[in-house]
This record gives sequence, structure tokens and C-alpha cells, in this order.
Amino acid sequence: MPESEEQETLQLAAQGDLEAFGILYGKYVERIFNYVYYRTGNVHDAEDLTARVFYRALHHIHTYTDRGVPFSAWLYRIAHNLVANWHRDRSRHQEIPLSDAPTLHYKGEPPEMALMQTQERDALLRLIRHLPSERQHLLILKFVEHMSNSEIGETMGRSEGAVKSLYHRTLLALRDEMEGSDLEE
Amino acid sequence: MNTKMRKFADASMEKIASMENRLSGVLRPIKPRKEFVHEVAQRFQTRTQTAFVDRVAEWHLVAMLTAGFISMAVFLAVLGRALMTLHKKKPTE
Repeated sequence: MPESEEQETLQLAAQGDLEAFGILYGKYVERIFNYVYYRTGNVHDAEDLTARVFYRALHHIHTYTDRGVPFSAWLYRIAHNLVANWHRDRSRHQEIPLSDAPTLHYKGEPPEMALMQTQERDALLRLIRHLPSERQHLLILKFVEHMSNSEIGETMGRSEGAVKSLYHRTLLALRDEMEGSDLEE
Repeated sequence: MNTKMRKFADASMEKIASMENRLSGVLRPIKPRKEFVHEVAQRFQTRTQTAFVDRVAEWHLVAMLTAGFISMAVFLAVLGRALMTLHKKKPTE
């Protein structure tokens, strides 16, 4: 959807046009779901919180004002607040149940290898979920959404240089964390 | 000194590249269930219809209260006027 078209859709949605809001929902639901999924670690809570993000957005869309940042940044802000509340409500982080983890196919590999990779993957996800929320957000935008540093900067309200620097620091910190765990090769 | 710094930078770049490889294997886009996406979209419609019905009901209540208030005021005015008329007429009779 071109930017001007999205602006029009947003204006209509802000005036209470449900069809317009439905278009925005269709465009962003996957992104918000992915963000929430990787922040919470399970599909059930990801679905619940994603639905709540859009209910809240629908309820407050009349107050939305275009300040030159993408609409997704507004949705991510709502998602961030809901995820923060979710974490606050829980005394400890919930680990990903294996049944909930998305299935990845390792073609042609023996089952032991696949199991090892799944365990390694779960351990890495746990390390990611212990990073500060801003760093988790950055990794999700970079690897799940495949956004450029400039797009991430727009979404997170930072300069491109700041994003690049935060990205490098995050990867090095994650690498250091891994060195202290069994994940190190 | 420069060589040491270059080695340090190279090591950092190597670490970053290795982490990028691992992360790109772990952080992958996930599709939410179609039923979930559809169900939430449906709920928006239902919820807004309910909100509209609520608003209409609220509007009806306000209108009824206003009409009731005006009727009561008119009734009291007519009653007052009638009483006054009766009161004025009594001494002449």
C-alpha cells in the first residue's frame, strides 16, 4: 500500500470507518503478532495480546495524529506497553513450550541433529528474551521484518547511526552471553 | 597499535557475522493462525455494532428524560395557571 493511500486509510479509520480499520488490521496483524510472539515466547499469549493491541488501537485511533512516524510505530508502542504489563503480571518469564514453538524443517538431517538444533534455538531465544526490550525490538525488526537501519530508526524514533551502533552492541552482548553458556561452538 | 586495533575490529566483525548467521536461523517470520486473524476481525465488527446499539440506547434515554422533564414543566405550568384562575374567580362568586 503506497504511503499516501495509507494516510487516507488512516484518516478514514480515525473517523470511525471500520472497513478502513480492517485494511490497517490486515496489513499489520502479522507484524504485531511476530513482535508479541518473540517477546512472550508462546502462541497463546501472542494471540491474546495481538488482539488486545488492535482493540486498543480501534478504541484510540481517533486520537492518532500523524507526527511523521510510521503508523506501525504507534502499534508497536501499544504492543510494547501491553507486553510490559504482561511481563509485570508474571513473576517470571515463561519459557517456550516445545509444542508451541514454530516447527522448523531440517531437511535431510538425522533426528539427533534436529533435536540439538531445536535445543540450541530455544536456548538462544531465551537469551534474546533476557535482553532489554529495546534490543529485542531491534532484533525482531531486523531479522523478522527484514527492515533496514533507516526504517528501524523511523519506527523506534532513533537515528540510523544510533540504530547501527545499538545493533552492533546488541550482537556483541549476545555473543558474550553465549560464550558463558553451552551454546558456544 | 594500528594492527592491534585492526585485529580487534576484525574479531568484532567476525563475532557479529557469526551472530547474524545464528539469529537469521532463529528469528523467522511466523504466520498467525488464519482462524485467529479472522476471528479478531469479526469481533471488531460485533463490538462496534454493540457500541452503536449502546449509543442509540443512551440517546433514547436522554431523549425520554428530556421529554419527561418538559412534559412535567408544562403540566405544572398548566396546573398552576388553573389554580390561579380558580383562586381569582372565587371572591367574585
